[in-house]
Amino acid sequence: MTCFLDIRGITKSFGKVAAVSDVSLEIARGEFMTFLGPSGSGKSTTLYMIAGFFDPSAGDIRLEGRSILREPSNRRNIGMVFQRYTLFPHLSVAENVAFPLRVRRRPAAEIARKVEQMLALVRLEGFADRMPAQLSGGQQQRVALARALAYDPPLLLMDEPLSALDKKLREEIQVEIRRIHRETGVTILYVTHDQEEALSLSDRVALFNHGRIEQVGKGRDLYEAPRTRFVAGFVGHSNFLDCTIAAHAGERADIVLPDGSRLPELPIDRQAPVGAAARLMIRPDRLRISSPAGADAPAGIDAVLSDATFIGETFHFALTTAWGGALNVRMPSHTLPPAGHGVGQRVRLSWAPGDARLFAE
Amino acid sequence: MLLDFSRLGPWRLVLVLIALLVGAYLLLPILLIVGLSFGSSRWLQFPPPGWTLRWYRELFDDPAWIASFLTSFRIAAVVTVLSVVIGLMASFGLTRGEFRGRELLRALFLTPMILPVVVLAVALYAFFLRLHLNGTFTGFVLAHLVVALPFSIIAISNALERFDRDIETAAIVCGASPLEAKLRVTLPGIRLGLMSAALFSFLASWDEVVIAIFMASPDLQTLPVRIFSTLRQDLSPVIAAVSTVLIALTAGLMALAALLRKDARS
Ligand SMILES: Nc1ncnc2c1ncn2[C@@H]1O[C@H](COP(=O)(O)OP(=O)(O)OP(=O)(O)O)[C@@H](O)[C@H]1O
Ligand SMILES: [Mg+2]
Repeated sequence: MTCFLDIRGITKSFGKVAAVSDVSLEIARGEFMTFLGPSGSGKSTTLYMIAGFFDPSAGDIRLEGRSILREPSNRRNIGMVFQRYTLFPHLSVAENVAFPLRVRRRPAAEIARKVEQMLALVRLEGFADRMPAQLSGGQQQRVALARALAYDPPLLLMDEPLSALDKKLREEIQVEIRRIHRETGVTILYVTHDQEEALSLSDRVALFNHGRIEQVGKGRDLYEAPRTRFVAGFVGHSNFLDCTIAAHAGERADIVLPDGSRLPELPIDRQAPVGAAARLMIRPDRLRISSPAGADAPAGIDAVLSDATFIGETFHFALTTAWGGALNVRMPSHTLPPAGHGVGQRVRLSWAPGDARLFAE
Repeated sequence: MLLDFSRLGPWRLVLVLIALLVGAYLLLPILLIVGLSFGSSRWLQFPPPGWTLRWYRELFDDPAWIASFLTSFRIAAVVTVLSVVIGLMASFGLTRGEFRGRELLRALFLTPMILPVVVLAVALYAFFLRLHLNGTFTGFVLAHLVVALPFSIIAISNALERFDRDIETAAIVCGASPLEAKLRVTLPGIRLGLMSAALFSFLASWDEVVIAIFMASPDLQTLPVRIFSTLRQDLSPVIAAVSTVLIALTAGLMALAALLRKDARS
């Protein structure tokens, strides 16, 4: 299969620092792919190699089957929206959008038509004659988007385009970006370190850490089936408990918790010898609270409720295990018994099979 | 604010008075010169017994003055162009280049500003003696370029540093070649810096006198040099007229710069 954009083992070092190491990724035409990851994890560097600002130290980037590494940035025909405001300050909105067409020496009639069409696409029809300094931050980024799409690039790169905007505006423009993606069918690579933004916008997410991709998949996959401990910790909220491997069989393992209680057959990320340390991960919304150990109590962990907070649709509980491990639980308010749970109460925490995962240390 | 003008009370009067005094101290010599240039007394009597345009007529009828005026203007114009072009290239290197000794080089470019002008003049004179450049137009231009260049480099480097490089990068991603991006986006973006570089370069050459005295020959004299040498012979009101013309031109240029700046900000 030849995919639309094929990133093959690209690496970029600055001196001794490996900003990106051996990143491979296949992206389909029309896909919306997000690079998510903590600061300094190599998201921008990867994007810049695709844009042509940096040459990879190793590896190849192929667009529609052809390597683009030899092409300079200005001939790659790629669209890009930057984190900072980059409208040309001395040109009007219309002239900014027209710029890429003017350098391509397109006929005036076509330019005029295209500018109008692009301003309509980003819903800024009345703003053609404004100067960039007369626009709000959100409007400037929308013009930047119109400029980046004016020449119908097959690929649009966006490096944290909304990070300078406040939350409400950000959500508003996210909706616009989704609509524009639907209407134009352009392939988008989008960088963000806001996981909510990543999950809500994209078809797939590539999670970066220390210059490598930890996992690629639909947002739901990353949340439900994190392949590494980093993914489990970065995407969504997680509880982690220290434990020790007691038995190992295939992709499952039995563990012993610090208080000596044993939990059987939990899925584990990789092979680990008996006696090795591991971490037990359970999402706060997958834990169930029931009465303390009795004959009919489900298998699980005993803990003491140390705090309960009502935050609207959900209740938030903090619990402590016998050996001092901390756990959080979130429950929809309506599922709670009327009396609720009191602080200091002993409870049993349980979960559905598959909701708990092990990560070998 | 502690020293808010509107809350100073009676001290305001004192402040206004001091400001007026300083302003008068700075402006009076200029006003005096302008007044004398229109006065009818040959002996620069003040206040003038009557008013006349005679000195201006004498000035504009004297081919030597006109020649000096044109010489000054030509030298300043060429210096301005060279200073802005070289200053622009040097500024790109100093703000964008990544090489060892960059800061040292920047300091080196600015030394003509802190060096006493006389030292510079003597050094240039001795150096140009070997190259047979003293008393030539080229020599004048090169010497004044040394003085003008630091102004250019400061103005343009500051503008380049303030200009977000991502904007130029955006132009390149849009399809412009690196050169085209600089010409169509970066240069317009730093045009204020370019204009003040041009203005200060022009003025640096236009009213420079020390180096010019060393460079001048009997048939190549800039306006300040001719004023200086005329002054040593006799104190004619024509000098006042020349000075007034000079002041008017300089003031005109400054006003133009202020206007452009205001225009760009709105
Ligand atoms: N031009 C450069 N010179 C030297 N080191 C660099 C350069 N650009 C990036 N780096 C380093 O490469 C690493 C990855 O940086 P990168 O900008 O790709 O991270 P990022 O994931 O985009 O982070 P952020 O979310 O903060 O933008 C960092 O350690 C950074 O310091
Ligand atoms: Mg970045």
